[in-house]
Amino acid sequence: MSLRNIGIVYRKELMDSLRDRRTLISMVVVPILIMPLLTIGLGVLAVDIAGKAKQQIPEVMILGGADSPQLMAQLTALKDIEIVPSRPDYADEISNKQIRAAVEIPPGFDAAVQSGQPVTVKIDNYQGDLNSGFATDTLRKALRDYRDATVSRRLESRGLPVTLITPFDIKDQNVAPPEKVTGAEIGGLIPYIVILLCMTGAMYPAIDLTAGEKERGTMETILSSPVSRLHLVLGKFLMVLTASLATAALAVTSMGVSFGIGRRMLMSMASGSDSGAMQLTITFKSVLAVFGMVVPLAVLFSAALLAISLHAKSYKEAQSYISPLIPIIIIPAVVSLLPGVELNAHLALIPVLNTSLVSKEIITGTYHWKLIVLIFASSCAYAAIALGIAVKLFQREDVLFRT
Amino acid sequence: MADSPLISVRDLTKTFRSFQRREGLWGGIVNLVLREYREVHAVERIGFSIERGEMVGYIGPNGAGKSTTIKMLTGILVPSGGEIVSNGFVPWRQRTNYVRTIGVVFGQRTQLWWDIAVIESLKLLRRIYDVSERDFAERMETFDEILGIRDYLNTPVRKLSLGERMRCDLAAALLHNPPLLFLDEPTIGLDVVAKDHIRRFLRAINQRYQTTILLTTHDLDDIEELCRRIMIIDHGQLLYNGPLAMLKQKLLRTKQVKFALRDQTQLPGLSALQRDGLKLERVDGLTYRILFDRSRISTADLVRQILGLAEVHDLLIEDEPIEEIIKRIYAGEALEKASV
Repeated sequence: MSLRNIGIVYRKELMDSLRDRRTLISMVVVPILIMPLLTIGLGVLAVDIAGKAKQQIPEVMILGGADSPQLMAQLTALKDIEIVPSRPDYADEISNKQIRAAVEIPPGFDAAVQSGQPVTVKIDNYQGDLNSGFATDTLRKALRDYRDATVSRRLESRGLPVTLITPFDIKDQNVAPPEKVTGAEIGGLIPYIVILLCMTGAMYPAIDLTAGEKERGTMETILSSPVSRLHLVLGKFLMVLTASLATAALAVTSMGVSFGIGRRMLMSMASGSDSGAMQLTITFKSVLAVFGMVVPLAVLFSAALLAISLHAKSYKEAQSYISPLIPIIIIPAVVSLLPGVELNAHLALIPVLNTSLVSKEIITGTYHWKLIVLIFASSCAYAAIALGIAVKLFQREDVLFRT
Repeated sequence: MADSPLISVRDLTKTFRSFQRREGLWGGIVNLVLREYREVHAVERIGFSIERGEMVGYIGPNGAGKSTTIKMLTGILVPSGGEIVSNGFVPWRQRTNYVRTIGVVFGQRTQLWWDIAVIESLKLLRRIYDVSERDFAERMETFDEILGIRDYLNTPVRKLSLGERMRCDLAAALLHNPPLLFLDEPTIGLDVVAKDHIRRFLRAINQRYQTTILLTTHDLDDIEELCRRIMIIDHGQLLYNGPLAMLKQKLLRTKQVKFALRDQTQLPGLSALQRDGLKLERVDGLTYRILFDRSRISTADLVRQILGLAEVHDLLIEDEPIEEIIKRIYAGEALEKASV
C-alpha cells in the first residue's frame, strides 16, 4: 500500500472539488447557514408566536347566567378576554376559531352557591389550540378565584381560619441542569441535523468523483495511469470523507456559535414573560463528543455513497440512485426524536438510529459508556464493510465500464 | 529481445455481457424480473504484432472494437481470451509497472483535470510517474517548442479549445517519455490547422525518439499522412493488416477522370461514351467526371476517347479516394485476411 499514491489522488480530488461550486455549497454554505437559521430562526419564531397569542384578546361567549349577577360581574370584569353576545352555534364557532371558548352557567347558579348546593360551570374549548388554551386558562383562573373567595367568605363567616381548607401550598421547580433541559427539549434535533449534513456533504463529491468522472470521460484516463485501483478508490474515499466531516464540523461550529448568540437574543426577547424554558445551553465537550460519534457514520456514508454512485453512468443517474437514500437516513433519525425511544443494546446495533440516540444523550450530558463503546464499534464495523464493498467494486470491469 | 516485436497480440478476445431489453410496456415490466443477457464479442481472436518505431493506423467503423482493443492494450480491460505482450509486460497483470512505459491519449476524453490549470495537472502527473524536476523542465521545454503550449499552461482545461486541449493531452501522455504511445482518435473534432499541428508533432516524436505509435482514427488523412501500415477491424475481427500501399493496389479498381469542357456545345459529343457503359457525372458548371474500372479500360484509352469526342481545356486523373475503398471493405467486400 503506497500512502504516497493515495495522497496524490487525494490531493488531486481535493483541488478539483474546491473548484466545484456544488461541492462547496453543500460542504460550506449549507451547514453555516442552516444552524443559525434553525436555532435562532425557529427560536425567534416560537417566542414570537407564543407572544402574539398572548397579546391577542380571545373572544369568549357566556351562555346563561342571567339570574347569576354575581358570577357575571366577576367574568365581565376580566381584562384578558372579550365577551361577545351568545349565539346558539357556539360549539361550531369554537371549532372554527371564531370564538375561543364559552362558559356555560347553569340556571340559578348564584342561588345554588348561596344555598350550598353542588353546581357545575362548564368551559367549552378547543383542545390543543393555543389561543383556546389561553382563554380557558383565564376563565379557569377567574372561576377558581371566585370559588376560593367564596370559600374564604364562608370560613370567615363561621370564624374559621383559611388554612383549614388550604393546609399547605404546592410549587414546582426545575432542578435539572440547563444543558439537560436543552437536551430534553431540542437535544434530538442537533444530532439529526449533523447526521443529515454528514450525508449531504458527502453526496456531491461522491457523485462527482465516480459518475461525474465517467460522464466527463476521465475515468479511463485515470485508470490508465500507474495508480492502482486500490489507491485510487482510497484517495477518492478520503476526499469524500473530508467533505462529509468538514460539513459536519462546520455545522457543529456554527451550531455552537448560533446557540451562544441565540441564547442571548431569546433571553432578551422573552424577558419579562415566563419563558424560562427557552434556556439553551450546550457544552463544548458534548459537541465534541457528538462529533466523535459521527465520524464512523461519516465513513459509512462516504463509502456507501461512493459504491452506489460508481454504478451510475452519469451525474443525473447517480442522483436518482441516491435520493431514495435520504429517507433511509432521515427515518431512523426521526425515530430517535420520538418521545419514549430510549437507547438500549438492541437499538445500539442499528446504524444511524444508534448514533442519533446516543448523541441525544450526550447533548444532555449523560454518558452511557458501555453503549457508547458498542455503538462506536458497530458503526466502525458497518463503515469497514461499506468501504470494503466500495474497494471491491472498483476492481470490477462491469461496474466501471457499465454499458 | 531486440528483434522480437514491441507488441505481440495473439487470439485476443473480449466478450461483454449485454442486457437484452424487451420491447413495449409489458416487456419493460418483464425486464424488471427476468433479465436476459446476450454475449457480445467486441473483439474476436485478433492477432498482430508491431515493431519498435512503427506508426500503425487502426481503423474501423463505430463499434468495430477499436477502443476495446486499445483498452486491453493499455491494461484498463482484462481480455476474455488470448495473449498480449507489450513492451515486455502483460498489460493487465503488470498494469502499474507497464503503464509507466506507455502513453495514452483518448481523443474524446482528457487526462487533464477539468477544473484545474493545465500546469497543475502536469505537475500531478509528474509525481504520479516519478519524473525528476530536471527531466520535467527539459520536456516541458521540448513540448513548448513543438506544441506551443506555454500560453495556456495556467488556464483551466475547461476553458481550452479542443485543439489546445489535445496538445496539452499529448504533452501529458508523453511527460514520462514512454517508448510506446496509444492514441484513440487523436484528431477527432479538430479543425484542419489543429489536425496538421498534431500530425506534425506525432511525426516529430516518432523520428526524434523512435516512439512507437498505434493510433485509431476515423480520419483517413491521418493514416495517409502518418502511417505506412494499417489494420482494419470490423465486427471484432481483423479484416486487413498490411501496408497502406498494398491495400490500395489490391482494392483500387476504379479511377476517375475529371475534365472541364470548353463550352456546353461539347456535351452531346460525349454521349458515345455512355454507349460503352461509362457513366458521365456532372460535378459543377462545365466540369464532369467519369468513374471507370481499370480492368476494363485503360486510363490512356479513356483519355484518348474523351479528347477525340469533345474539346476539353482541363483534365485530371485521380485514384479512388481511400474513404471509398474503406467504405467498400466495411460494406463487406471480400478481402483476404492478409498479414504481412
